[in-house]
Amino acid sequence: MNIIVCIKQVPDVTEVSWDPETGSLIRKGIPSIINPDDKTAIESALQLKERYGGEVTVLSMGPSQVEEALREALGMGVDKAIQLTSKEFAGSDTWATSYTLGLAVKKAGQYELIICGKEAIDGMTAQVGPQLAEYLGIPQLTYAMNIEVVDSKVRVKQKLGDLERLLESPMPALITVEREAYPPRVAPMDTILEAYGKEIPVWKSDDLNGDGDNLGLKGSPTKLRKVYTPKLIKGKVEMFEGGPEEVAHKFVDKLKEKYII
Amino acid sequence: MDFNLSPESKMMVKAAKDFCEKEISPIMDSIIENNDYPDDLITKFANARMLGLVVPKEYGGVGTTNLNIILITEELGKTGSVCAYPMLMNNSTAETIDYWGSEDVKKKFLPPLCDGSAYACTAFTEPGTGSDPRALTTTAVPDGDDFIINGTKRYITGGNKKGYGVFYVKDEIMKGEKGDVTAFVVDKSSEGYSASAPWSLMGLEGMNCVDVFFKDVRVPGSSILGERGNGFPILLRWIAGERIQQAAYMVGLGQAALDESVKYVKERIVGGKPMGFMQGFQWMLSEMKGRIDACRYLTYRAACLQDDGKQIAIDSSELKIFVTTTIQEITRMAMQIHGSYGYSKEYKVERLFRYAAHAGVVATSTELNKTIAGSALLKSKR
Repeated sequence: MNIIVCIKQVPDVTEVSWDPETGSLIRKGIPSIINPDDKTAIESALQLKERYGGEVTVLSMGPSQVEEALREALGMGVDKAIQLTSKEFAGSDTWATSYTLGLAVKKAGQYELIICGKEAIDGMTAQVGPQLAEYLGIPQLTYAMNIEVVDSKVRVKQKLGDLERLLESPMPALITVEREAYPPRVAPMDTILEAYGKEIPVWKSDDLNGDGDNLGLKGSPTKLRKVYTPKLIKGKVEMFEGGPEEVAHKFVDKLKEKYII
Repeated sequence: MDFNLSPESKMMVKAAKDFCEKEISPIMDSIIENNDYPDDLITKFANARMLGLVVPKEYGGVGTTNLNIILITEELGKTGSVCAYPMLMNNSTAETIDYWGSEDVKKKFLPPLCDGSAYACTAFTEPGTGSDPRALTTTAVPDGDDFIINGTKRYITGGNKKGYGVFYVKDEIMKGEKGDVTAFVVDKSSEGYSASAPWSLMGLEGMNCVDVFFKDVRVPGSSILGERGNGFPILLRWIAGERIQQAAYMVGLGQAALDESVKYVKERIVGGKPMGFMQGFQWMLSEMKGRIDACRYLTYRAACLQDDGKQIAIDSSELKIFVTTTIQEITRMAMQIHGSYGYSKEYKVERLFRYAAHAGVVATSTELNKTIAGSALLKSKR
């Protein structure tokens, strides 16, 4: 079973800060990491490969430093990596990203599954996976906690808040995984060394045979107007007094009064 | 001279950090409580391919450099836990077997030490000697193609765990000759082999440091490393490498002490401001940082010398003297910064301080290393 995993390199948000003047992200000196949900996607693909055989290919679009994320994926044990780097891809919103990944998936060859992380920690849209499935015209199984193949069909346990649903679809299909579904393995030291011996092809816009008007900023219907940190509004603090139960009742009454619950 | 780490090395550091977060941090308290690490820890090290790091791939190793071992060890040192010991032992003992062992010995003992199915140990120390080979009392007496070993070894890390160890003993036939110490690879499940309960050691809960007893233990002559009577040079070479690994661990420990201190002075409010605003603390932190960096690069240099096949006996002694005393002082400063909280077991610096104390006496004492490095200076023709 061949699996394609789409990953995104993101800034490590635990070390990110904002410029209070401009409201923009201070990226200088911030390390980049594989988006945590995408790392889960890699782990799920590796476990499926161990169970059902086949090959795992990892795909990522981004500037040249995205190679670092691809090397890390190779270090975890994926078989192949493909890098999508082209100045025409710059400024892509989720629509243009999904389109570009879709072109690359078509070029990458035969596959049974595409696995993506549920969402990226920098954008948190959770749109790319579903849009990619739409573009490719294949079924999508989202928020997956558990993936297995039964009678040539893929079956996932879908997490929807407190509910769980068992979904099944023919393959090829696209799956987005929940972060806690497959805790990523520690990259083994020997695989890390091998990762640096592997060649990573870099595909540019010309290699994808797509419509240039759909790529990058030009092909992105979403325009970012402004990024800002909401101003903190100073409010009045009200302290409740009394026993724990009494205070809890007062607190709930207050929340109701404010239409919060 | 390039101070930049290769991308591979950087990723190995990241993997080691991930390993510590995922596999070591969750079990730290239980190790102290149980005075032991879980049985599957060695398997986890093996799965992460952190055993037999410099052993060639053909024997099940990873085939990487001593520098990479040092970088990984530094990350483990940041945990301030004894968890690194099974990994360090399976690396350094396997390296010794790989360097000195016959092809048959390598094929027999290296794969299980690399795949985590066996725990390694290295044993020289005895109740009456820690560094003097003349005072060894454990003996090996030839019996046909075999040898019969009798005696007691002291403070043997992992001596109670199933697997193989390199044991240094007096060769009875060669007794009194200049080289009468022989290194044997011994199966720890051999008849007549037993171990005491672990010693209770300051800061080293769970280290599994035990006494080992040999009572007529039969060992095949084919498991001798190098030549009969050539054990002492083998030991010296192993100890020199051990000093470098120890130094790497201490660098990680010192870095953890600094990281904890920086965090503390940012959070602790004194006079309405974080403590870090006070110049005195800034001075302490900057001194700590500079000293740790000095230790770090001296350690990397020693590992690079090792990778280049250079003699490291003297350099590793100098390293040991500097790093041990410096990092012990760093952990003391970290406690001082934490004030009375530094003495609480709730705070990591308390453990780091206790752990650092042992470094001055393991893999030869700081004072003995001063003698080694100092006498080498006097012999120098420069």
